Formats: sequence, C-alpha cells, structure tokens
Amino acid sequence: MINEDKVILMTKMAAYESGKGKKDITILNYFRGDYIGFQVLKAVIAATISFFLVFAVYIFYNFETFMQDIYKMDLLSFGKSVIILYLCTVGAYGVISYVVYAFKYSRAKKSLKTYYTNLRKLAGMYESR
Amino acid sequence: MKTLLVAKQYIKNFIAKYEVYLKPLMKLILALASLMMINGKIGYMQRLDNLSIVLIVALMCSFMPMNFIVFVSAAFVVLHMYALSLECAAITLVVFLILFLLYLRFSPKDTLVVVLTPMTFALGIPYVMPLAMGLLGTPVSAVSVGCGVIVTYLINYIADSATTLSGMEAEEMSAKIRFVIDGFIDNKAMMLTIVAFAITIVLVYLIRRMSVDYAWTIAIGAGALADMMILLIGDFMFDTNVSILGLILGSIIAVLIAKLVEFFAFHVDYSRTEKVQFEDDEYYYYVKAVPKVTVATPSRTVKKINSSRKRPSGAQNRSKQL
Repeated sequence: MINEDKVILMTKMAAYESGKGKKDITILNYFRGDYIGFQVLKAVIAATISFFLVFAVYIFYNFETFMQDIYKMDLLSFGKSVIILYLCTVGAYGVISYVVYAFKYSRAKKSLKTYYTNLRKLAGMYESR
Repeated sequence: MKTLLVAKQYIKNFIAKYEVYLKPLMKLILALASLMMINGKIGYMQRLDNLSIVLIVALMCSFMPMNFIVFVSAAFVVLHMYALSLECAAITLVVFLILFLLYLRFSPKDTLVVVLTPMTFALGIPYVMPLAMGLLGTPVSAVSVGCGVIVTYLINYIADSATTLSGMEAEEMSAKIRFVIDGFIDNKAMMLTIVAFAITIVLVYLIRRMSVDYAWTIAIGAGALADMMILLIGDFMFDTNVSILGLILGSIIAVLIAKLVEFFAFHVDYSRTEKVQFEDDEYYYYVKAVPKVTVATPSRTVKKINSSRKRPSGAQNRSKQL
C-alpha cells in the first residue's frame, strides 16, 4: 500500500530540494562566517573592478588636462585622494553586501530547518510502521 | 466577475498543463522582441541586423535560463555601439559591467527588469514598469527599474547623437568620450524619471500591503497619479520636455495593464506545478503536484502504468503517477 501522507511529505520535500533548497543547501555548506566572508570578498573584488573602470573613464575624460598638467600636478596628493575614495567605495559596498548576505544566510537556515523537521517526521513514519 | 475568474482559471490550467512548451515559447518571443527592438533602434552593425541571426540567437535563448536574454541583449547593444564608434562601445560596456557587478549580483531575479524597462520605453508605456514592479516586487525593485531607465537613456542618447558622433574625427577620442558622458550625466529627464519611478514603486508597494479593501486598485491609482504629478512638476521645474498627452495616455494604458497584472497575481498566488521524482524502499515515485484550483474543481486522473524501468534488485516494480 502507498502511504499517502508519506507521499505528500516526500513530494513537498523533493520539490524544495530541487528548487529553492538546492541554493539553501549550498549556502549552508559553509559556516556563517565563511559564507559571508567569501561573499564579501567577491563583492570587494567586484567593487574594485568597477572602481578601476570608472577611474579609467575619468582619466580618458580628462585626458588632455592630465597630459598638460602631468608635471605640474601634485601626484602624491592626487594618488592619496584616489586611494581614500577607493577605500570609501569598497568599504561602503562591503558593508552593504555583508548585510545582504547575512540576511540571505539566516533565511536559508530558517527554511532548511523546516526541511529537517520534515525529514525527522518522515523518519518517524518509518519507525512507527 | 465569476466568469472572469473562471476564464482566469482556464488560463491557469492551460499554463499549468503546457508549461513545458509555453515557457520556452515565452522566452523566444521575449528574446525576439528585445533583439528586434535593439536592431531597430541602433542597428549600426550590418551583420547583426539580420533576421536569421536574430532568430538563431532567440532560439538559443529559449532553451537557456531567463537571464541569458539579458546577456545576449547587452552583447547586441555593445556590438552595435562598436560599429558606431569604439568610445561608445567602451562607455556602454563600462555602464553594463558596473550594473552587473555592483547591483544585479544581489538580485538575479530582477535582472529581466533591465531588459523590460527599455522595451516599455520603446513601446511608449514606460509608466507600467513602476506600477507592475510595485505590485509584484519589493521596494528594492526601484533600483532595478532605475538601472533599466539608465540603460534606456544611454541607448537613446547615443542613437540620437549618432550623426554627430560619426562626424567626429577618429583621433578625437577624448572629445567623443566627453561628449557622450556629458550628455548622459547631464540628462535631467533621466534623473527625474528615476526619482519618479522609485517613489511610485515604494508608494504602490506600501499601499498594496495595507489591510484595506481594494488595496491593490487604490495602489495602482495612487501610483499612476503620483507618477504623473512628479513628472509634470519636474517638467515645470527643469524643463524636461515631457509630452503631456503621451504621459496621460501612457499612464492610462499603464493602469489598464497593471489591472491585468492584479487580476492574475492577486486572489491566489500562482504556484507552479511541481514535477518531482524520488524513491523509498519499495517504490519509485513520479509525482506531479498540481496547485489546487479555486473556482472549478480539478479533474484529477490517477493513472497506473507499468513502467519499463527495472529495479536493480529485481523486486516487484511499479511506478505510480498521481
């Protein structure tokens, strides 16, 4: 005989496993600190690339002024201000992505908890047979 | 209203039944429309402005994930820009890369909005985007729609000044970049549209979540009015040349489309049919779980089939389809 309750439970779990659960499980393969740290690292790299792209466009935009003033400019203070700007950008973006991924991790944990509860229920069904 | 609900149920049943075929078809149509619009607007590269290439790429899109359409559209835009001038292609590429790297990494589900927004602009009904995203999304969608508006204005600006750009000498690289960036950043209409759309999305979202009767309808009306007011006031303040007739007509059409969205999205969440397979000690299960129908009763068929699949243990094998 087919146990209908069991089928319903298993269907729900399989649907979760093949859909949203797949992502949740990959997220929860990491410890919280590792996951968030890794994601923030990726965010920092993305921010760095973006910053350099914008900086390159800025240089091209003011290409002629730079060519004229390159010997007159105070390159040290210019470099300093660029680095400060870079640190501010990357820092702000890092903080934002920390918040976002911390939220994602806790949400994944919550929904996986329901999954494990169902798993225990299913195990109970086997034992009570 | 009942007949409408029954009709909706019919459509939902139809979608649930033929989802396997409808989804690629929808992707195909979307990719085709997006690529044809890009070719129509900025078809500078002759080799890409070719129906057979568009068809092949669109067919490819229909079998790939949804976000592939976004990738392909972005690639088409950059290639067309490259045919116009290297500088335009570089700036477009930088804008796209920054959008993808900084924002769309967070919300891959919203990526499609970046393609849909320019398409609604081309169709003259951009006002539908903030209403629809306010109804279906979250306040964060404001950023996605904002990205879409930025992409639209960048493409429009370059397309409008194509003659000036191609008239410039090839050596004037820095001047070309300055020309594009100045015109792009100093675009008050773009800023105004982004602000108006963002406010509209947040407003629609807040009102539709209130627990009053007809919250969705009130949200649509209030959102459309707020959008129009902000754009008109901005027009007076910054002289952005918003066409008032177009604004009113576009808003009316947008409200109608938003009502359509409400009709399909409200009442019941349309959760997809799930097809899963798993096994336990005794059986293999091939289960199709259909979301419950609210108006008409579902006709459920239980079919017993003798599967040709043999279990490795050679034990009695039966598969059930519910």
